[in-house]
Amino acid sequence: MTTISTAPAAPSAHSADGAARTRRRLARLVVGVLLALYGLVSIYPFLWMVSAAFKDQYEVVRGGHLIPQHPTWDTLVSTWDRLHFFDYFLNSVQVMLLTAVLTLVIYAAAGYAFAVLRFPGRTALSRLFVSLLFVPGITVMLPIVLLENKMGILGTHIGLVLPFVNGTAPLSVLLMTGAFAAVPKELRDSARVDGAGELRIFTRVYLPLARPALITVALLTAIPTWNEYLLTRVSLNDPSTYTLPLGLQTLAAESVPHYNNLMAGALIVVIPVILLFVSLQRYFVSGLVGAVKG
Amino acid sequence: MSAAFRSAAPAEAGAPGGGRPGPLGGPAADGGQASSGSSGGRSARLREALAGYAFVAPAVVLFCVMGLYTVGYGFTLSFAQWNGFTPHWTWVGLGNYADILWHDPRYAPRVRHAAVNTLWVMIGVPVLTVVVSFPLAVLLNQAKRMQGFLRSVYFLPYVTSGIAVFFAWTYILQPDGAVNTLLGQLGLGSLQQPQGWLGNPDTALPTMIVVTVWGAVPVAMLLYLTGLQGIDGSLLEAAQLDGAGWWRSTASVVWPLVRPITSIVVLLNLRESLQGFQTFLVMTDGGPGDHTNVLGLEAYRLAFLKDLAPTLGLASALGWLLFAAALILALINLRALRSKT
Repeated sequence: MTTISTAPAAPSAHSADGAARTRRRLARLVVGVLLALYGLVSIYPFLWMVSAAFKDQYEVVRGGHLIPQHPTWDTLVSTWDRLHFFDYFLNSVQVMLLTAVLTLVIYAAAGYAFAVLRFPGRTALSRLFVSLLFVPGITVMLPIVLLENKMGILGTHIGLVLPFVNGTAPLSVLLMTGAFAAVPKELRDSARVDGAGELRIFTRVYLPLARPALITVALLTAIPTWNEYLLTRVSLNDPSTYTLPLGLQTLAAESVPHYNNLMAGALIVVIPVILLFVSLQRYFVSGLVGAVKG
Repeated sequence: MSAAFRSAAPAEAGAPGGGRPGPLGGPAADGGQASSGSSGGRSARLREALAGYAFVAPAVVLFCVMGLYTVGYGFTLSFAQWNGFTPHWTWVGLGNYADILWHDPRYAPRVRHAAVNTLWVMIGVPVLTVVVSFPLAVLLNQAKRMQGFLRSVYFLPYVTSGIAVFFAWTYILQPDGAVNTLLGQLGLGSLQQPQGWLGNPDTALPTMIVVTVWGAVPVAMLLYLTGLQGIDGSLLEAAQLDGAGWWRSTASVVWPLVRPITSIVVLLNLRESLQGFQTFLVMTDGGPGDHTNVLGLEAYRLAFLKDLAPTLGLASALGWLLFAAALILALINLRALRSKT
């Protein structure tokens, strides 16, 4: 580009090269600063979350510095107890795992059928699942609560998992269908020649090849489930079934909520999901990118 | 449902697998060779269809119970008056819709006020999200070394977007919170909000919009980044040969090329602005003085916080109006996208 550009911006050929280099270096600096700035915006609440988790309750109300002046572990320790971490953590994990596994089983199968198998009604059915995307959560939340009350599963973890799984349907179907459609047809044909049945082709040929998409769907299901608050709030009554967000809510609802405890609790709640994301993000991004391109 | 099956059937039969037409159709038309015997065509096709139904059955069953039933139930409920406890519904026809839109002096003004707030959110969030995430993706696309790391940092808000991080925002926006402190240190003390950013009726809604955008940028940025990395490099080179600088080629070449992504980003955020309210529930609960009350929150209140008042039908009606609005927006968006590509 430097050699070809007829450069109305470069009056003298001599200094043009050097000026262009300084300009490029300057541009790179500006880009770096801007990117770092948004990175700061992005993690700003976490910085304060961590900061407040190490402050005592007098320092926390003064706002003040990001670096605690009297850092203390007491806040984290006492919050850990008051949050009933292990009880709520196990509940959260249970709900998250059940939701993710059910989602994978149900929509991987459905995606396989939509992508590979020919049957009457295929297009209409797949459109039906995608159109579910436009049904507002609040519109169906009340009927779900009433229905589950009738079925006797309101307030149980199954009562959370079923609507969660159904709620992920549009995205999961889209991603899984896309991933399976990208698998070369020849593999299916040769598996058939070897005498493999449909179930065998699905589990032995297609599922292993769709691993990034499976992990993406699992993460896109697990992360919002971990953070989910609304449906759990209206359907769970018994504290022994509470998930971590509800535990956090009870901290906040105390007569005098202490922000240091609240932030320590918030930190404890988000750390597992951050760890999950960081350990699987390599697959996550590639799976998501593949889905968008497909 | 059976009607859907029937109507789709001829279209399906007409175009199986693309190419390779022929009376033997079936799996052979899919490119399958295994059952190439001419007699197996029909039964193989039947077997494949049966397998197809078996594979989608769990999804369909769950959808019928959790999706169709609840949607149908909610729709019916929107024409009735009920408090959730009495054994019978009182049918009011379209009365609920009239009540929340103009008729009932207790509900209509609140709903209209919430609608105005929601409208601001629906304008502010998509526009700001695009304004932030597109340049961010362009810059990130040029940063080769730190890209992976920065992408993760930018994605953090999505991963944690739940009640925990909204409490953190509430803390930061307190009267003595970090934002006010920061402004003071930067010498911008006049911008400080002594009542806190969520306590001042004038700043509460804009602040909520900014927090929502903060949560919406990660996905939008990632979508844009994907689109940018899919752009053919020779197009940009051609533009540069024609003398277009960085700014010009970004504005005139890249931006039009990612228009479909902009459309998706706008649609997702419109939908979320129209229907989402968890952030508002956790951070302001509609306050101060209903200045951040949005339609989703109002529907939630009508459905779950009215105890014995017969407002469940009203909540349902409001939910259906939200659904209709979302659908209309989606269609407009789709039309705008189609006419330009």
